[in-house]
Amino acid sequence: MLDDAGPDPVVQMYHVYKRYGSQDALHDINLIVSKNDFLFIAGPSGAGKTSLLRLIFMGEEVSRGQILINGINLQRVRRTKLPLLRRNIGVVFQDFRLINSYTVYENIALVIEAAGRQRRYIQKKVRQVLRMVGLEDRIYTFPPKLSGGEQQRVALARAAVGDPLILLADEPTGNLDTDCADMVFDLLKQLHLRGSTIIVATHDRRLFEKAQGRIVLLNNGRIEGEIRS
Amino acid sequence: MNLTILSSVFRRALRNISASPYLHMAATGTIAFSILIIGAFAMLYMNINDLIGSWQQNIRVVAYLTDKVPKASIEPLRQNIAGLYGVKRVRFVSKDQAMARLRSQLKHRQSLLDGLSENPLPAAFEIQLIRAWQSWGRIDPLTEQIKAFPEISDVEYGEAWLHRFSAFISFFRLAALIIGGLVFATAVFVCTNTIRLAIYAKRAELEIMRLVGATDFFISTPFYIQNLLEGLLGGLIAIGLLFASYKLFVANVQAPGVFMGPFQGRFLSLPGTGALLAAGMLMGWCGSFLSLKQFLKP
Ligand SMILES: Nc1ncnc2c1ncn2[C@@H]1O[C@H](COP(=O)(O)OP(=O)(O)O)[C@@H](O)[C@H]1O
Ligand SMILES: [Mg+2]
Repeated sequence: MLDDAGPDPVVQMYHVYKRYGSQDALHDINLIVSKNDFLFIAGPSGAGKTSLLRLIFMGEEVSRGQILINGINLQRVRRTKLPLLRRNIGVVFQDFRLINSYTVYENIALVIEAAGRQRRYIQKKVRQVLRMVGLEDRIYTFPPKLSGGEQQRVALARAAVGDPLILLADEPTGNLDTDCADMVFDLLKQLHLRGSTIIVATHDRRLFEKAQGRIVLLNNGRIEGEIRS
Repeated sequence: MNLTILSSVFRRALRNISASPYLHMAATGTIAFSILIIGAFAMLYMNINDLIGSWQQNIRVVAYLTDKVPKASIEPLRQNIAGLYGVKRVRFVSKDQAMARLRSQLKHRQSLLDGLSENPLPAAFEIQLIRAWQSWGRIDPLTEQIKAFPEISDVEYGEAWLHRFSAFISFFRLAALIIGGLVFATAVFVCTNTIRLAIYAKRAELEIMRLVGATDFFISTPFYIQNLLEGLLGGLIAIGLLFASYKLFVANVQAPGVFMGPFQGRFLSLPGTGALLAAGMLMGWCGSFLSLKQFLKP
């Protein structure tokens, strides 16, 4: 697998372990993701997909091993520099994680507000990503008033608004009916075409059977193989 | 730091306050109460100190001479005493002068003295001190020095209760410091907990901010602003109450001269008032700092 390293690696994982208590959630993971890859991490529930993504977006630290994001070794990054590094990564969480007391606009704007972008730019950019996911008319709605599919798309818009180098999506179609799932998946493909590197964790065979890209099979915290489709 | 981040930070601070107004009213009230207590102690201490200072300025040390001192050695002795550190001026009062003074003080009852066969009053030196020596700590050693002259029978100054009063003041200062410290700690504790509650209620939101690349500054500053505003408001309320009580006191107690005599009580100075406000804000700041320190731990 290491031989698959493209010319422009954005994620490099070497002998990565993640341990919760006495149990290994991830075991000796070696994975290289190149720029503009569309990568699936496929495996049954409990395989360690979410844990793997969490390590990449720096939600947690590895127990052992090394992770490099865009060439930067996460273990050498000072805590105060983490926010800057995180802005390279957009995440669609499995449970969306929208802020219920913020409007759709505020939820999305938060990302680029935290990055200190200009007000004008923020207004323009938020509308743009909302148009992309087809939720322009929901701009001042609060998330609890949205359907699951709409929340998913808001989450996707938020992940995309900062023009991240890498976009992670955890079970992006998990709770959706087929139509919604197709729409979300199409959006991911669109972002891929625009140059983003996409990593999707899923246990949904349908999703990657009709997709193009690398499929890394994860089971019991170990990578069991890789398919190119 | 830039305009976007500043405005976001302030917006979220105001939002936090309006989202849980009672919590913030409670915190503001606690700070106001604490500052009121601390300010009252400070004012009391300041005015009592003033009062004692005004008494000390009138300290006159009187050294009584034995009856056996020959006239010729009085002037050299006077000069010896005048040469001591801290002494400004020494005036000799003879037995006759002392008697004359007593007679004039007794006025109509001078006849009381007519039966005396001889003058019982001793001759004395009236000793004025330079300003720096007008404090209890320095008078004591000086009077010991004067007492050491064999010609001096006794030295008197002030009154014993004044001396004891100054001991009480030291005690009062200590007590005020301790109580002030406790009150301060209580206010910090309350502020810490209001912010801790706010953080707890928002922990999911704060975690999201962290994950989308918000800095600690971006995340935590609204809480600091919130507590600083509480501190400022609490401080202003306390100072207002303190000032109102002071005015009431002046109108009802001091102005009619009920018991203070010519002494003028005063309100806290401008720096003092500023220090109280700063103390209120410091309480708020400490509250934020302590609660956020835990939350922002990696
Ligand atoms: N925060 C955690 N604490 C303890 N165990 C965890 C935690 N997160 C995940 N696990 C465990 O790690 C394993 C992998 O979980 P996860 O990464 O969520 O799998 P997946 O996303 O593939 O369903 C599971 O056995 C899960 O119980
Ligand atoms: Mg999962």
